[in-house]
Amino acid sequence: MPPLHTSTTAQITIEAPAIQGKNRAVTIEGILLADRPGGPRQWDIPGVYIHVPFCFHKCHYCDFYSIVDSHDRQQAFTQRLIQELNAASPVLCRSGPVETIFVGGGTPTLLAAQQWEHLLGVINRVMPHLDRREFTVEANPETVTAELADVLLSGGVNRVSIGCQSFNHHHLKTLERWHDPENVFRSVEILRQAGLANFNLDLIFAIPGQTLDDWLDDLDRTLALQPTHISCYGLMYEPNTPLTVKMKAGRIQPVEQDLEAQMYEATIDRLAAAGFEHYEISNWARQPLNPMATANRCRHNMIYWTNRNWWPLGPSASGHVEGLRWKNVPRLGEYLDGGPFPPIIDVEQLDQDGRIGEQFMLGLRLIEGMKLEEVEALLSHGRRGQQRRLAIERSLSEGYLVGLNGSLRLSRRGLLLADSVIAPLI
Amino acid sequence: MPIRNFSIIAHIDHGKSTLADRLLQATHAVSDREAREQMLDSMDLERERGITIKASAVTVQHTYKGQEYELNFIDTPGHVDFAYEVSRALTACEGAILVVDATQGVEAQTVANAYLAVENNLELIPVINKIDLPAAQPERVAMEIEQVLGLPAEDCMYVSAKTGKGITELLDAICEKLPPPRPPEVEETRALIFDSNYDDYRGVIVYFRVFDGELNVGDKIRMMGTGRTFQITELGRHRPQPEKVKTLGHAQVGYMVAAIKTLEDVRVGDTITLDARPASQPLPGYKEPQQMVFCDFYPATASAESPSAGKKGEFEALRDAINRLHLNDASFTFETEHSEALGFGFRCGFLGLLHMDIVQERLEREGGVEIVQTAPTVSYQVELTGGEIVEIHNPADLPDPSTIRSIREPIVKVEIICPTENIGDLMRLCEGRRGTFKAQKFISEGRQILDYELPLAEIIYDFYDKLKSITRGYGTMDYDIVGYRQDRLAKVSILVNNVPVEALSLICHRDNAEQRSRLILQKLKKQIDRHQFEIPLQAAIGGKIIARESIKAVRKNVTAKCYGGDITRKRKLLEKQKEGKKRMKTIGSVTIPQEAFMAVLDQGE
Repeated sequence: MPPLHTSTTAQITIEAPAIQGKNRAVTIEGILLADRPGGPRQWDIPGVYIHVPFCFHKCHYCDFYSIVDSHDRQQAFTQRLIQELNAASPVLCRSGPVETIFVGGGTPTLLAAQQWEHLLGVINRVMPHLDRREFTVEANPETVTAELADVLLSGGVNRVSIGCQSFNHHHLKTLERWHDPENVFRSVEILRQAGLANFNLDLIFAIPGQTLDDWLDDLDRTLALQPTHISCYGLMYEPNTPLTVKMKAGRIQPVEQDLEAQMYEATIDRLAAAGFEHYEISNWARQPLNPMATANRCRHNMIYWTNRNWWPLGPSASGHVEGLRWKNVPRLGEYLDGGPFPPIIDVEQLDQDGRIGEQFMLGLRLIEGMKLEEVEALLSHGRRGQQRRLAIERSLSEGYLVGLNGSLRLSRRGLLLADSVIAPLI
Repeated sequence: MPIRNFSIIAHIDHGKSTLADRLLQATHAVSDREAREQMLDSMDLERERGITIKASAVTVQHTYKGQEYELNFIDTPGHVDFAYEVSRALTACEGAILVVDATQGVEAQTVANAYLAVENNLELIPVINKIDLPAAQPERVAMEIEQVLGLPAEDCMYVSAKTGKGITELLDAICEKLPPPRPPEVEETRALIFDSNYDDYRGVIVYFRVFDGELNVGDKIRMMGTGRTFQITELGRHRPQPEKVKTLGHAQVGYMVAAIKTLEDVRVGDTITLDARPASQPLPGYKEPQQMVFCDFYPATASAESPSAGKKGEFEALRDAINRLHLNDASFTFETEHSEALGFGFRCGFLGLLHMDIVQERLEREGGVEIVQTAPTVSYQVELTGGEIVEIHNPADLPDPSTIRSIREPIVKVEIICPTENIGDLMRLCEGRRGTFKAQKFISEGRQILDYELPLAEIIYDFYDKLKSITRGYGTMDYDIVGYRQDRLAKVSILVNNVPVEALSLICHRDNAEQRSRLILQKLKKQIDRHQFEIPLQAAIGGKIIARESIKAVRKNVTAKCYGGDITRKRKLLEKQKEGKKRMKTIGSVTIPQEAFMAVLDQGE
C-alpha cells in the first residue's frame, strides 16, 4: 500500500482541457496525457477495468450502465474498445506492471467467442501476460459455454465472477433477474471442465420477501459449489432503478432492518465456519491452506479499497489516477463516435483533505482495517485532522472501532454500522 | 357638503375589494386606466391571498339629486382575527354595505360582520354581488339575508362589481339611506383612530375620523389612552391619491403625520384630542388588542449548540425582520425565547390563527428569513393556590402542578355555516373537540347554521381544514372569544431519551391526554431516525408516564457495494448523511428533525 502523504494531490493540477469549439468533447488525453515539457508523466497503474455495456435484459436492481442491444453494435463496440486499448497502450506501458484486469458489465459474456478472441489478443499485447496476476471476467450463468470458457482461459483469464444473486426462483423474479439457478451449477461445471476453479459467486440478501432461512439456504447452495470467493450484498435501492420506484410506490416492502442485520451476521458466521476469510464488508475469500496467505482475495477490488490507481476502458468505466477520478461517457453511441480516447464526464480532482476522507472511507471497509501508522499519517494532514481524530476516538470508546494488531478496524458491531462510523471521517 | 361615512363588510372573497374599486371608478376618483384590481389593498400579500388586512380610508364625491355628497369610505379587514379592527373601523361610520356573493350566499363572516355592524348601531345596505355570474341565485341569497339577518329581502340591491351594473344606484342609496353623521357632542376636539401604518420616511401615519371639533396642521395633539403628545406636521385625505389639507373638521375622515416613531404610540381605538384643550372623556370603545394564539419562531437552520459563528446571523436576521414588521403591525407581540432544542428565537402572540399565518408569511417574504414555527398554543389563566392568577402562553411556563388550583382556557363561540348533509359529521367533529352544542338554525334549503362553544385550543390547528374537507369547501366558520372556563387541563411533557423536551410539551385535557400523547409519540417515532442506541419516548403528566414508545437502535447502516465506479457517489452519499444532521436539533445525544416539533399539532382524526 503506498503511503498517502507521498502522493499528495498537489502534484496534478487539472489544466483547462483543450477544448476547441463547442463540439470537441473533453477526453482524458486533454487532462492527463497532454504533452508537457520534461516528457510524459508516469504513474503506477496496477489495475485496468473494462466495461462491456451489453445485457439481454436489465435487472430491476441494477444501476450499472448497460443496454439491451443487437449483435451489430457488439461488433462495433469490440472494434472501438480495441481502438481505445491501443490508444491507452503508451500510458499502460509507461506505468508499472498492470497486475489486474477486471472485465465487468453489463454482461461481458454476451460478446461472441470470436470477439473475445480478438479482444484478448490485443489485451495481451498491450498488457503483457507476465505482469499479470489476476484477470477476471464477469459472467452471466446463462451465457457460459465450453467454447467461450476455452477462449477465455487460453486468453489468460484466470478468474470468473458469476452473478447468481439467489438460487430461489421467487426471489430472482423479485429482482427481475432472468436466469435459471440450474445454470449456475452448469456454468461452474463448464468452467471446471475447462480448467478454471478460481471463481466468485455474487449473492444478494435482504430481497423483499426473503426469510433468514431462505438466505441460509442460498448460502449453503453457494458453498456446495466450492467457490474461491463469495460476495454477499445487502440489496441496495439505487436511485432510478425500477426496484426503487416500486419500493417508493409501496408495491414492494423492503426487508426490515433488524432482519437484514440478522442475515448479515448469519453470513459472517456461516462463511467463517466454512473456512472463508471475511476481508471486506461484503467480500469473502476461501482460506488457502496457509492461513496467512490472501491468495483468494480479489486483487483488483483491493486496488479500489486501498485507493490505488486504475485505468478505465469502455463506456461508463470509471478511472482513478492520483486523486483524479473520471468516467468515460456512459452512452454507447457517443462512445462509439468518440476516439481514440472517449469523451469523459464527472471529472473530479479532490484536494488533500478530500483524498484523506476517501482513504478512510475505503480503507475501513477492509476487515483488517488500516495500519495505525497510516492512520496517524492521515490524521496529521488535511484540514480536519482534529475532527477526524475526535470522531475516531468516539467510535473507539463506543466500541465500533477497535485497535488490533497495529491496525484500526471496524469491530463486529461497527461492521453493521460502518456508514455511521465512516461518515464523520469523510 | 353633506357627509356619509360608511364601510363595506363581507365574507372573504365575496368581492368587497372589487366593489370598492368600482365605487372609486364610478365617482371618477380614479380613471378607468388606473383602475387595477383591489386598488385599496397595498400589500402584495393581500392581493395574493385576496384578503384585506389593513384598513384604508378614501374620500370621494357623488352627486345625488343635484346635491354633492362627500363619501368617506372606510375599508375594513375581512377576517375574524381582525374583529377588533373591523369594529374600530365600523365605529367611525354611520352605515355599512353588507356584500354577499350571489353564488355563495350568506357565510359565517357575513353573519359575524353584520352583527358587529348592528352592535355599532350602523345602518346596513345589503348588497348582492356577482349577479353577472351564471351560477348567481340573487333571489335565494336575498331570502337567506332576510332569514338569517332579518334584513328585508326587498331592501337588497343587486350589483356586479365586475361589470359595474347597479353601482350608481348603490351610490345613490348610500346618500339616501345612510344617516348623516351625528352632531358634535362636546366642544373639545375628539377624533377616533381606526387605523395606522408605518412609512419608512414619515413615521407612523394615523387614520382617524373627527367626531367633535377639528384638527389643524401645527396642532399639538394628545393620545388620550397612552398620554403621548405629538405635533401634527401633515393632514390629508386619500382620493385615493393622498391630498394634503390644512384642516379636517367635524365628521371628516383623513390621515395625519406627526413625527410618531413607532406604532406602539398609536393604538387603534384611541381618541386624539388637543393637548392645549383636552376633552374630558375619550370616545367610547377603546380596548387593547388581545393576543390569543402563541407560538415560537426560530430561524430555520440555526443550531441549538452554537448560536455563535455563522448561526448567530440567522437569529439576528429574524430579529431584524420581526422588528421591522412590528413597525407595521403592532398587534402581534414578541419576546426573545431560548429553547434547548431550537436555540434562540421568539415567542410571539397573535390575534388569531390567520394573523399568525400572515405574520409568518410576511416575515419570510418581506424579511427574507426562513422560519421554524412551533405548535401554536392559546393563552391560559392559571389560578395558584395562593389565589393569584397568572396568564401563561407557553406550556413550558406552567408553574409547579402542586401550586396550581385550576387552569382556565379560552372558550370561543364558533358559528359554522354548512350544507345540511354535513351537519352530522360536523357535530361529531365538534363533540370530539370538547364542544358544547348551542344551536342549529335554518338558513335556506340545504344550508344551516351550527353554533358550538369550543375551547380555542381545540380549533387552533386543523379544525378549519377539517371543516373544509368535511364540507368539500362549502362550510365556513367564524369564531369569537366568549370567555375563560376552567377544565381538567394538564401539562403533558414529552421525554426523548429520558430528557424532557420543552418545545414538545403541551397542555391538554386529561381525558384525551393519553390518546393525544400516544399519537404524538407515534409521530415522533416516525420523524426521528434510528440512532445507534434505543431511544425511549415518553409522555408524562407530572411524574406519571401516560404513554411510551421506543425507537429501536439502528441495526444496520452500511453501504454494501463500493467499487471503483461507486467511490465518488458513495462519498457524496455519506457526506449527505453527515450534512443531514446539521439541519437537525440535538437534544442530549438524540438528533431531532425540525419537522418533529410540529408533530404535537396533529390530532390525527
